[in-house]
Amino acid sequence: MAIEDIYDAVMEFDEDRVAELVKEELEAGTELKTILNDGLISALDTIGARFSEGTIFVPEMLLAADAMQAGLDLLRPLLAETGIKPTGKVVLGTVKGDLHDIGKNLIGMMLEGAGFTLIDLGTDVGAEEFITSAQENEADIVAMSGLLTTSMPEMEKAVVKVAEANKTRNLNVKIIVGGPPVNQEFCDRIGADGYGADAPAAVALARDFVNA
Amino acid sequence: MSWTHRERVLAALNHEEPDRVPMDLGGAEFTTLTLPAYEKLKKHLGLDHETKPMSIIHQVAHPDETVLRRFDIDTRNVQPGGYVGGRDRWVDDNCYIDIFDVTWKRSAGPEESHFLHKDGPFYEGKITIEAIEAHDWPDPGNPGLAEGVKERVAEIKSLGDYAVCLYLPGGVIHRGYAMRGFEAYLKDLYKNREALCLLMEKLCDFWVGTAENVIRAAGPENIDLIYFGEDLGTQDGCMFDPDNIYAKYIKPHHRRMVETVKSLSDVKVCFHCCGSAYPFIDHLIDIGVDALNPVQVTAKNMEPERLKEEFGDRISFWGGINTQRILPFGSKQEVIDETRRIISILGKGGGYILNTVHNIQPEVPPENIVAMFDTGRAHSY
Repeated sequence: MAIEDIYDAVMEFDEDRVAELVKEELEAGTELKTILNDGLISALDTIGARFSEGTIFVPEMLLAADAMQAGLDLLRPLLAETGIKPTGKVVLGTVKGDLHDIGKNLIGMMLEGAGFTLIDLGTDVGAEEFITSAQENEADIVAMSGLLTTSMPEMEKAVVKVAEANKTRNLNVKIIVGGPPVNQEFCDRIGADGYGADAPAAVALARDFVNA
Repeated sequence: MSWTHRERVLAALNHEEPDRVPMDLGGAEFTTLTLPAYEKLKKHLGLDHETKPMSIIHQVAHPDETVLRRFDIDTRNVQPGGYVGGRDRWVDDNCYIDIFDVTWKRSAGPEESHFLHKDGPFYEGKITIEAIEAHDWPDPGNPGLAEGVKERVAEIKSLGDYAVCLYLPGGVIHRGYAMRGFEAYLKDLYKNREALCLLMEKLCDFWVGTAENVIRAAGPENIDLIYFGEDLGTQDGCMFDPDNIYAKYIKPHHRRMVETVKSLSDVKVCFHCCGSAYPFIDHLIDIGVDALNPVQVTAKNMEPERLKEEFGDRISFWGGINTQRILPFGSKQEVIDETRRIISILGKGGGYILNTVHNIQPEVPPENIVAMFDTGRAHSY
């Protein structure tokens, strides 16, 4: 039994095996952080890198996320008990007028896998909902997604309002944007803090923003 | 010689240069305009007629003959009629249940958006062979599907010598996502393959049966082109493994679909695949696809030069005018320059039909639509 086995089981998309191995590690007294970082998160990093380079695809990402989740489900209550803080808190949603959620869900899974607490507001989310949720949850990051070119003006409105709330409404969040029609130039123009070209890139940005 | 619209399209698809680049608008549900874009275009052109939706679900317009003539469009659309017998129904203005028992919803935004599937008969739990077999599948022989097809073909023939394009919606992937749920479907490709393959087979049966029903109604000799397709790519890559998943489990269905329509009629086949289609193009050529739509030039490995160089002698390109940046946000001059650029690359030696990358979106200024088609119309080989 070794931490590497957990990593391997995630890579093989074997949920049951991940859960079994995590339990064994816990019984053996392995530190929670070691299981999380060396077993689950490092597997997720590899999966993310392979996805970005185009050697694995959407189904493999989904299956790896499920396998990780099986381990995270066991660790989460224990992490809360021991007072270990999550990597950060992210409020995530697809912007107003847009119901597409495939890309957003992939990012959500990757963020959770990376140890973030995720507040997923779903699709068709307005600026005010992002702000209220970020305030209530004391979030570090607001992440906005959109597929339609039509939703780009909505994304701009939402980014402007969240940025305003950062100054006037006691909010302190970084704003990440992403989605097929979005690029770095658009991100800069509307005043978002970062552009995630794909799910792994969004996770890397989120980590940078919370210095994880 | 003077070319008819039909001759122009067929020459291009046979990799020959006609007099000018052929143009499509409204040949299929994914080569047309969204309803708001159509309203703006009508106003801009000073045209006043009632808009006929081509699809409520996709919120796209069936361009009127006056619009098609204004641009000198070479294609004309025919598609199956509505299923009769009351299997599908509207719950309210924003919720529709289709003949596959899939629930479609939309958000009522500032510009009405299209519908997305939000629930289906196999969404919950694990799908089983038994459940798929026991499902009450719609009948591809339903008379509603063939209704109006013969009349529409006759109407097109009376209008002139146009390329008659039959759009056959559906397939084995998108309808599968709709019935099973997107994520569950993709996971089943690995975790529950036998059942998923049966689901695909049932969907392929329906598509093939519908094709036979509708082509017979149209008269096989009257159809020049069949459009169908489903998305295999994403903006930056593939939806699934092109060789280990697509080629083994999905491609055989696509092959059966292409072979079916080609056995019934002497037609060209245009396959629609959004995103980075690049790794799939050889597979599509292999099953007999003649043209690739929409040629999403902003996706990974989809630069027009690369496509023409690698595949240009074996497949034609249908689309390619950038709807993610140039058409909605570019100036009129940028649209003209981009249209000329795409025609000069993809249209070299024929093999190119001018159309946008997917449907023209609500925010596209009508001036840009006019600039694109006028540039195409003024082109000459």
